[in-house]
Amino acid sequence: MSVVLAAGKVVLRDNCPVEDAEPLLILLQNHPDCPVDIGDATNLHAAVLQVLMMFRRDLIGGSRDSFLQKWIVPVLTDRTENRI
Amino acid sequence: MDELIEQFLIEGRELVQQASDDLLALEENPSDLGRIDSAFRAVHTLKGSVGFFDFAPMGELLHRAEDLLGTVRSGRLAATKAILDVLLECIGASDAWIDSIERTGNLPPDADAQGRSLRAAMAPYLGEAGQDIATAPEVDLDWVAGLVERNREAVDGAGAGQPITALRYTPSKDCFFLGDDPLALVRSIPGLIALEIGTRDAWASETFDPFACNLVFEALTPAPVDDVRGIFRLVPDQTIVFEIQAESAAQQLAESPATPDGGREGGGRTLRVDAARIDVLANIVGELVVTKNGLAHLAQQAAETDPKLARSLSANQANFDRLIGDMHRAVIAMRMIPLARTFQRFPRLVRDIAGKLNKGVVFSVTGEEVQADKSIVDGIFEPLLHVLRNAVDHGIEGAETRRGNQKPADGHIRLEARRTNDQIVFSVMDDGAGIDLDSVRQIAKSRNLMDAAVIDALDDAEVLDLIFAAGFSTAAAVTDVSGRGVGMDAVRTAVEALGGRVLVSSTRGAGTTIQLILPQTLVINTIMTVRVGDERFGVPIESVQETMRVAADRILPIREGEAFVVRNRTLPLLRLADLLNLPRLPRPDDIRVLIATAGDERVGIEVDGFAERFDVVLRPMQGLLSGMPGVLGTALLGDGQVLMVLDLPELIG
Repeated sequence: MSVVLAAGKVVLRDNCPVEDAEPLLILLQNHPDCPVDIGDATNLHAAVLQVLMMFRRDLIGGSRDSFLQKWIVPVLTDRTENRI
Repeated sequence: MDELIEQFLIEGRELVQQASDDLLALEENPSDLGRIDSAFRAVHTLKGSVGFFDFAPMGELLHRAEDLLGTVRSGRLAATKAILDVLLECIGASDAWIDSIERTGNLPPDADAQGRSLRAAMAPYLGEAGQDIATAPEVDLDWVAGLVERNREAVDGAGAGQPITALRYTPSKDCFFLGDDPLALVRSIPGLIALEIGTRDAWASETFDPFACNLVFEALTPAPVDDVRGIFRLVPDQTIVFEIQAESAAQQLAESPATPDGGREGGGRTLRVDAARIDVLANIVGELVVTKNGLAHLAQQAAETDPKLARSLSANQANFDRLIGDMHRAVIAMRMIPLARTFQRFPRLVRDIAGKLNKGVVFSVTGEEVQADKSIVDGIFEPLLHVLRNAVDHGIEGAETRRGNQKPADGHIRLEARRTNDQIVFSVMDDGAGIDLDSVRQIAKSRNLMDAAVIDALDDAEVLDLIFAAGFSTAAAVTDVSGRGVGMDAVRTAVEALGGRVLVSSTRGAGTTIQLILPQTLVINTIMTVRVGDERFGVPIESVQETMRVAADRILPIREGEAFVVRNRTLPLLRLADLLNLPRLPRPDDIRVLIATAGDERVGIEVDGFAERFDVVLRPMQGLLSGMPGVLGTALLGDGQVLMVLDLPELIG
């Protein structure tokens, strides 16, 4: 599994497929103040992304993946509600 | 007129033209995606331009037309004949409205009703296309503007003049179950320059379902529309892909003054200039020609006192002559435009007319590339349309009759333009019933156009000519199409006003050919009017060197003739009344003389009075009068009077 709780943060690693969405949701629900680290994630499934978007936890660092860093990190750190 | 409106009229016509070309092409090949796209863009842009003004019915109509085209474009509806028909009707209405805006500054009074009925005609297609049309915000493209605005820097950075593809992707709620990963699709968009991710509904943590997709993606990329569509080809119902043109032509004009090499290169570099400005230029050149003629005379005068000066003056004058000639040709060329501008409108209009009359017509056009003066290209539209209307209405028979006569069920109408020397011959040929001379005779009698006996005595050609008589119309019943109270006489009048003439030939059972023969360039002449007794005549201003008054007692009788002295030269004096074989009036004390040149000689011509100057289109003499010596042609004055324009050198000669 690519979603784990480690050292007080929720860490997403490698390729996070659709199956990661539910465990991620449960982790975030159970640890209300936990920040999220997607530094080592190479890909996020849209289902995972929308869980992250709903909780909008603090991100630790950015992402090594250039697509995630350029386009997804700003979405997750943007505190304004951007409902299209 | 307001500059914005002017720009709108120009651009609007082009867009209407584009849309109608595309729709007609789709009729041939309903699956031509490029044409669907192009029509959609044209209608969308037109709708956008209409939005600047208070033409609500036009905006609403185009909005619906755009919706319908969008549905076709997304593949939810096929481009059937019925759909193309209603779309073409919308475009036809827009075209007429643009004409009305140009004339009156406003939509015609029935625009609202007309728009409403067309919108109603489109409604079933939009309804049938599924509920998503009604509920999806997708059909609306307002989001594009917002997206571009928020990402202005990225868009500008993508390079000016390049089209940008905008995408809105609203994955279906159950897409995760179907194995879709929307983000993976978005990730594969090449050259992404903007990505915004939002939600369909606000997040609600209590009811949050991680497996129901709540995301909406909006993206911009310089990648071609088709590439982006390719990526999302499996979810076309969830995406809107839209190409944003770099800038509208109007903006480009307004924003890039005098940067000849800026912006796009390679494409035709054109400059739109108000035709009125070119006319001003043409007038100046015309006056230059007249002024130049005076220089030749000056050189002659100088020859007597200073031969050396005279020689260099002559050399200069020759150069001057050549340059003005070049300039004159350049200005004329500036006004030359291809006939395409007018011809392009006909296929749709003919189709329209044929549809209304329930006749099958195959229409073909050749000669769009032939160039003519702008006033000819614009002015020929009405007369040609009328002739085409007649061809469909009176020429082409119903399908039943045609079959009975062993003709193909669909009639064929051909519009052709050819250039011969300095003339353009427009021919409208139909393979219809031809003109029934007996019924022409009958109608002419019933309308009392002439004495019955005279009509019976006319030969066939003369009978054919009767269709041009005022008050003649072969329509037995007044139809929506042809019966507008104007007949072929209106065509002849319009063509003659442009300096042309109309010919007709017809073979019973085989068809009719109408030819409109027009000059390629409209030659505007400035003429001066002179009086002899009560009659007025025109004289081209170029042939008049000067006008003066001479005291009667200074006229010297010389043998049978007369002469007078002007600036130490003795000039012969002729009376215009004598030249034209008109009665002489008694000579006043103070006589009016115009000085004309005949070859190298100058001659005074006595007239009874001078009147105003006019700019006129000179029409050559025709028929019996064409051999008349001393007459250049006739000109139609503003008040409808016909003025004979004299050829002074020939009269004197």
